[in-house]
Amino acid sequence: MPTTFDLTITVNGTRYERSVEPRTLLSDFLRHNLGLTGTHVGCEHGVCGACSVLMDGQPVRSCLMFAVQAHGHEITTVEGLGTRDELHPIQQAFQEAHGLQCGFCTPGILTTVKAFLEQNPNPSEEEIREALSGNLCRCTGYQHIIEAVELAAEKMRG
Amino acid sequence: MDRKLIGKRVVRNEDPRLLTGHAQFVDDVHLPGMLHAAFLRSEYAHARLLKVDVSKARQHPGVVAVFTAEDMGKDWFPGPPLVSPPPTVKDVVFHSRRQVPLAKDKIRHAGEAIAVVIAESRYIAEDAVEEIEVEYEPLPVVLDLEQALQPDSPLVHDDLESNLAARLSQKKGDYEAARRQADVIVKRRIVIERGAAAAMENRGIVAHWDAQSEHLTIWDTTQAPIPIRNGTAARLGLSEHQVRVIAPFIGGGFGPKIMMFYPEEMVIPWAAKQLNRPVKWIEDRRENFYATTQERGQIHDVEMALSRDGRVLGLKDDFLHDTGAYDPYGLTIPLNTQSHNMGGYDIRNYSSEFKVVFTNRIIATPVRGAGRPHGIFVIERMMDAAARELGMDPIELRKRNLIPPDAFPYEHQIIDQAFAPLILDSGNYKAVVDKALEIIGYEKFIKEEQPRLRREGKYVGIGVVPFIETTGVGPYEGARVTVEASGKVNVTTGIGTQGQGHFTSFAQIVAEQLGVKVSDVRIVTGDTSEFHWGTGTFASRGAVVAGSAVHAAAKSVRQKVLKLASKVLEAPEEELELEDGAVRVADIPQKSISLGELAVLANPLRGAVEPGTEPGLESTSYYGPQYGATAFGTHAMILEVDPQTMMIKIRRYVVAEDCGTVLNPLILEGQIHGGVSMGLGNAYYEKLHVDENGQLLNASFADYLLVSSTEMPRIEVAHLETPSPLNELGAKGVGEAGAIPVPALFAQALENAFYDRKLEVLEMPLSPNRLFELLREAQENEKSV
Amino acid sequence: MKIEGEYVFDAPREEVWKVVRDPEVLTTCVPSVQSVSKVNENEFTGEIVLRIGPLSGAFGGRVTVGNEVPPESCTLTVEGTGKIGFLKGVGNVVLVEQDGGKTLMKYSGEAQIGGKVASVGQRLFDSVSKGMIKQGLDKLNDILVKRMAA
Repeated sequence: MPTTFDLTITVNGTRYERSVEPRTLLSDFLRHNLGLTGTHVGCEHGVCGACSVLMDGQPVRSCLMFAVQAHGHEITTVEGLGTRDELHPIQQAFQEAHGLQCGFCTPGILTTVKAFLEQNPNPSEEEIREALSGNLCRCTGYQHIIEAVELAAEKMRG
Repeated sequence: MDRKLIGKRVVRNEDPRLLTGHAQFVDDVHLPGMLHAAFLRSEYAHARLLKVDVSKARQHPGVVAVFTAEDMGKDWFPGPPLVSPPPTVKDVVFHSRRQVPLAKDKIRHAGEAIAVVIAESRYIAEDAVEEIEVEYEPLPVVLDLEQALQPDSPLVHDDLESNLAARLSQKKGDYEAARRQADVIVKRRIVIERGAAAAMENRGIVAHWDAQSEHLTIWDTTQAPIPIRNGTAARLGLSEHQVRVIAPFIGGGFGPKIMMFYPEEMVIPWAAKQLNRPVKWIEDRRENFYATTQERGQIHDVEMALSRDGRVLGLKDDFLHDTGAYDPYGLTIPLNTQSHNMGGYDIRNYSSEFKVVFTNRIIATPVRGAGRPHGIFVIERMMDAAARELGMDPIELRKRNLIPPDAFPYEHQIIDQAFAPLILDSGNYKAVVDKALEIIGYEKFIKEEQPRLRREGKYVGIGVVPFIETTGVGPYEGARVTVEASGKVNVTTGIGTQGQGHFTSFAQIVAEQLGVKVSDVRIVTGDTSEFHWGTGTFASRGAVVAGSAVHAAAKSVRQKVLKLASKVLEAPEEELELEDGAVRVADIPQKSISLGELAVLANPLRGAVEPGTEPGLESTSYYGPQYGATAFGTHAMILEVDPQTMMIKIRRYVVAEDCGTVLNPLILEGQIHGGVSMGLGNAYYEKLHVDENGQLLNASFADYLLVSSTEMPRIEVAHLETPSPLNELGAKGVGEAGAIPVPALFAQALENAFYDRKLEVLEMPLSPNRLFELLREAQENEKSV
Repeated sequence: MKIEGEYVFDAPREEVWKVVRDPEVLTTCVPSVQSVSKVNENEFTGEIVLRIGPLSGAFGGRVTVGNEVPPESCTLTVEGTGKIGFLKGVGNVVLVEQDGGKTLMKYSGEAQIGGKVASVGQRLFDSVSKGMIKQGLDKLNDILVKRMAA
């Protein structure tokens, strides 16, 4: 039997205690152990950004981390933003500006944008492009995503 | 027709699910007792398979089964042909060689699947794959398209005389006669290389055999769930009604997911049935680079005959097309190239022969554009070369040759990918060129800005390229529209959806007819238990063909609603209006009945009905076009190149597009933006590097570069609408349009940026390195002259 | 892929030739060699662990010496397979006497790689192989210098 590690982790405000193999990736842990399948895996080597989640508020690539590295930390996934009936302002902005098509890369973009707008509530287009440069999207050509971030910033500034 | 919803910027119905992480993708399917598969893939591109020893892997703890080709026994046979050769063309040569579930005896491309391990977890399956021992006898590799056709070339398929997979030639008018009359003949060789579709979601499949009900359910990242259902039933000896294929939310298709019967699609359902347990396989990104189909390898030898005043008298294009190791997808791509070789130009004499060549590379099947970008690249590069030769403004040369608006429908006298006559249904090609010129300010740029920028030491060029896109091809699609007792409307259709917004655009079409809210129309796509006739989402046909079927079904339901309401409300049908989810009498708004109440009345639970009564407010309709609708447009860009680093900056990007009636401009613009980003990748970033042994050397996103947010320019889109006469909506497709003209446009803008050097771009994709080399070659040529 | 280079040993040609043809000495110099055994005078098998960027794995391999012209030149054929792919190479080694009791080694060859090593490691393979060759030859030179001093 492979050795396992007892992991305590808080995801979207809920505390979980699980026993995992040390080699379990954080992305696999979230998706398969916790059933939080909103986090997507696009490349498994940290380039595409689809698997981005927030660890203690900072974006991380969950495909490049082992679950055990998140021991004792707080993780926010896309499921932790808003609900279908009450979308987070960023989610609302993405719907209104058509900032998604197939929606596969979207969860990683939403978490990245959340951290970005908290640090920079009034970004320029260039800053937004720079902030999104680690998230690949094959459908949108990014334009509507950038417009969505501009709109989200406006909504969040109130 | 006065339209309330069609043509409006309606936000998407599907977004809340996707935005909250609740939309189900294939990898999100989790079933009790589910096993996980991993494939062993060939390290060689061409080899005899001498021995596959899986004994150690079978012993690995947690491994449930390991299968090789031998283990499949009589269930081992190749996939079906997807597209047969055109029956309407004479003298066509076509050798059908299809991919197999697991390689037996011989390997034909690096990455071909040899064995599958099925285990309790993916981690275990991958560990056990490494314990399989394979003995290969490497063979010389077939890669170069011209060498592949030499008599001494090694053979990809030993039973064939050569690597020629197919040959087809098409003629219009008399090219040789046109050539004799010409003042100028322009000849070029144009080389186009492969790229990857690289959808963000890799492929995947989950199969669940329920032995008690003898029913197989498959979740598959496919653009064509119904053909997968039918083919799987045939492979496994089941009734089509014992198989349900679900294409849930798909993370981008772009063509390769329309390839039918990938090895994994043949193996996983079979294995699930053998083991009587659900099995999941999810492709990883590296596999996606050598197990998912690709496109674009072609070599063209082109000749254009012109008169001195800039009339194109004729065009001849003989080309080689790389189909890879097998050719299940028939001739779709090279036929598309042939159909787009003349662009939107009135060319009366045309001759083209293509040869399809087997190579030791992954199968080529359509990728966004599907042979069309090649055709446009060829004709537009030739136009620019001809303009230089004639000393004529390149835009003027194009304008002199565009098909005039009164010449539609314009018959090309050749056949297209659907084997239907290539007829351009409607168009105003000059209008989109003028629109693009106007927005980008062509004259001003050439006369004032470019000279000024050059004085500042900046290399900035302009490009303007018109294009056409044949879309909305047959054979047919269908849809069923049902008004439910809640008053909400349910619509089912057979196509799959991969982000195109069908949940919204189809809902708009229905809401327009039935007077309900767009958000009250539920669309089901990609589930064969809901609708089981149809072919799939490809060739920019979803909105046109399935959309037209939805439209027809919605109209038919509207008739049923009016007929029943007329009885209930005791008012003539002409006086009834469908508004706000109810039917009311136009002048007496208080006299009304909700659609939900009507639906209940249409489905009585007791009593008698008139003979011939069909229950419910429901209708099923089909639509099959006579031939495809042809969209068109013009892209223009202003491009700055750093002459030291060859890094580029796109200063302006303008799209003037005409895809007939616009259903939803928001969705349409999204499709165009995405297409342009892929086209830009094809132009300057995305190239698959393969070494002389057929090994792919950049199988990761770290080495294969997709366009990111910092490379993409802001795109200015202008819509023109020339409705298609072929369907009631007047719609034409747009899914691939954005990608088609970009490499040709990029090449033109580059040449223009270096207008004083003899730079000529006759290949795609380029890269900063390659551009540097081309500029150096141009410089050396100048010196030697 | 081409592998090519030169190295100057601080020892006469005869001595260099001896160590080049002695697998026990040679293998102690190649970084990451785990084991080696002699099949016959001209053929050796062994195991080496390679680390190339994100990849690492063991390769079982065979080295064959051919076209031997002592103490001037020989051909080395290397074949290795492992869980992360395969590599094959044929190289010529030529030793040229230099002034002052030194020896110039010229080596040139073609390497072929496949599997994961090729698809994700190729970009790094070149620098990794160069680094390993340099490291190995430096060590060999140290041994030679020590032998000469002894």
